Amino acid sequence: MIFLQLLISGILIGGVYALISLGLTLIFGVMRIVNFVHGDMLMVAMYLSYWLFTLYSVELYTGLFLVIPVLAALGALIYWGVIRFAIRRSHEASILATIGISIVIQNAALLLWSSDYRSVHNEWATHSLQWGDLRISAPLLIAFIGALLVTGLVFAFLHYTYLGKAIRAASMDRFAAILMGVNPQRIFTVSFAIGTALVGVAGALLSSVYAVHPTLGTQFLLISFVVVVLGGLGSLRGAILGGLLIGVVETVSAYFIGASMKQLVYLLLFLVILIVKPAGLFGKRIPEVNQ
Amino acid sequence: MMNVMTEVKKQRNFAYPSARGYGAAALLLTLLPFLLQNQLYYLDTLILALLWASAAGAWNLAGGYGGLLSLGHAAFFGIGAYTSSLLFVKLNVSPWLGMVAGAVLAGLMGWFIGMITLRMKGPFFGLATIAISEVLMITAVNWTELTQGSQGVNIPYKPGFVNMAFDSKIPYYFIALAICLVPYLLARWLKESKFGYELMAVRDNEAAAQALGIHTVRVKVVIIAVSSSITAMAGAFYAQYVTVIEPYHEFSFSVSIQMVLMAMIGGLGTASGPIFGSLVVTGLDTFLRDVFQGAQGGIQAMMYGSLLVLVVLFVPEGLIPWFTRRFRSGKGEK
Repeated sequence: MIFLQLLISGILIGGVYALISLGLTLIFGVMRIVNFVHGDMLMVAMYLSYWLFTLYSVELYTGLFLVIPVLAALGALIYWGVIRFAIRRSHEASILATIGISIVIQNAALLLWSSDYRSVHNEWATHSLQWGDLRISAPLLIAFIGALLVTGLVFAFLHYTYLGKAIRAASMDRFAAILMGVNPQRIFTVSFAIGTALVGVAGALLSSVYAVHPTLGTQFLLISFVVVVLGGLGSLRGAILGGLLIGVVETVSAYFIGASMKQLVYLLLFLVILIVKPAGLFGKRIPEVNQ
Repeated sequence: MMNVMTEVKKQRNFAYPSARGYGAAALLLTLLPFLLQNQLYYLDTLILALLWASAAGAWNLAGGYGGLLSLGHAAFFGIGAYTSSLLFVKLNVSPWLGMVAGAVLAGLMGWFIGMITLRMKGPFFGLATIAISEVLMITAVNWTELTQGSQGVNIPYKPGFVNMAFDSKIPYYFIALAICLVPYLLARWLKESKFGYELMAVRDNEAAAQALGIHTVRVKVVIIAVSSSITAMAGAFYAQYVTVIEPYHEFSFSVSIQMVLMAMIGGLGTASGPIFGSLVVTGLDTFLRDVFQGAQGGIQAMMYGSLLVLVVLFVPEGLIPWFTRRFRSGKGEK
């Protein structure tokens, strides 16, 4: 029974990890940059939901309609302001530029909102569903369902719209896509905005599950790196499977060896994957990186 | 008039100072701590600048000359700090020996990491090094019998040369200076040795280097091991100087990034770059602390972040090569 409980909890949180990682892997797939700001965007979205709820009593799930456009705009702004210039240089340049932005955002949050832990206490926050011996936390279940819906929407967008197809084309072969008339600047901006909006959705959904603080992003960034490398950097399906897998691994290891050591398990798994199969469990080849 | 200008330009040679320049620099570096003797605050800044210059210089050997963008050098810094401190606190081993032990241990660790990360290209190497330093941090936090966990280790103050603890700050200054010279001289040597040329060839085009008969595996592993050992020496000195270490700082991502930032600002793959970068960053830190009266740590870090972005975007080669190029009107090497 305990295994079933752990499996379900793991899958629920894994769904949210998948949503976070989907944005990261989309950005990597299209632009070939490792985005260190990704975790901080989660933090910003969580603060945004928190303040909307606390100051204006906007319910979390209504707040999404504001969080999504704000985060998308923030993503586009970061792309236009910095990434656009760094991307032309080397992968080192884009990594270091995103690390720089990440440091600025984290410390801006620290200055503005202090290092206090804040979480949304809405009517769902402490609820849980009982089903025999199984106990499922309500906000986590809602977050999982939300993540599932948004992931479905993203896949539909990428497969059935012109812009989505152009994004997939650019991530398969950027040069050929440009020859076919795809405007790379537009695609990059849109992908960065979508990737950031996705992590924004995850942030809003998670703000009643976890307490937010300025450096929260780092922890989730690390998890989403593990997830995307596990699934194959740039692979969308891989990100989803990897997210679910890491969710379960983390929950099971937290139960057996303790919460403070749970990171050790997935970090070691991450290193083993990098050493043995850097293309990821579900990836076919190591993605090309512009050196 | 033009001739005078070119003469002046010729004399302003930052990259290769003359013998007289070396003499002046040596004299200045020897006298500086005595001049600042009564301004402990600035002497302290200078010592920290030299300390970080050593770590950044060590990072630069692998990151700048070898093109191995490590984002987890805090791992080696922490190994150095913890090895010497634990040996001193638990077994009463002199920190001088502890520093050597830390350097050997970190060198072996670097060797091992070099071997397992050989196949990783581009960002994968950086991600792996982050994971390694995180693993060490979690180990240091949880292995409480050895490391006292998140409490950290306090080094008891027992002044004496053997214990590397002094009443005055001046001896610390000279130790930091000596450690700082190690990566500097190694970097100078890389510029004119066969190994250095092989290393830079591997950085610039690994496949071509291999085709020319360079043992690329050996070159990369050796430079990571050397870079790791020197970083550990800086870590051991840091522990002795600050006298308290804790896992959440010593193994942190921000320590790793600090080394990269300083080397980046001064100039990747230049001998004096990390020293210059460290002086800029540490000086800025002191200046901001004066301005804001130490009230908000966030502002300093925001400056670091912005500086990193600005350097990457506008002076990607770093300030030393940029100055050199400007003053020497484009001729000669970096």
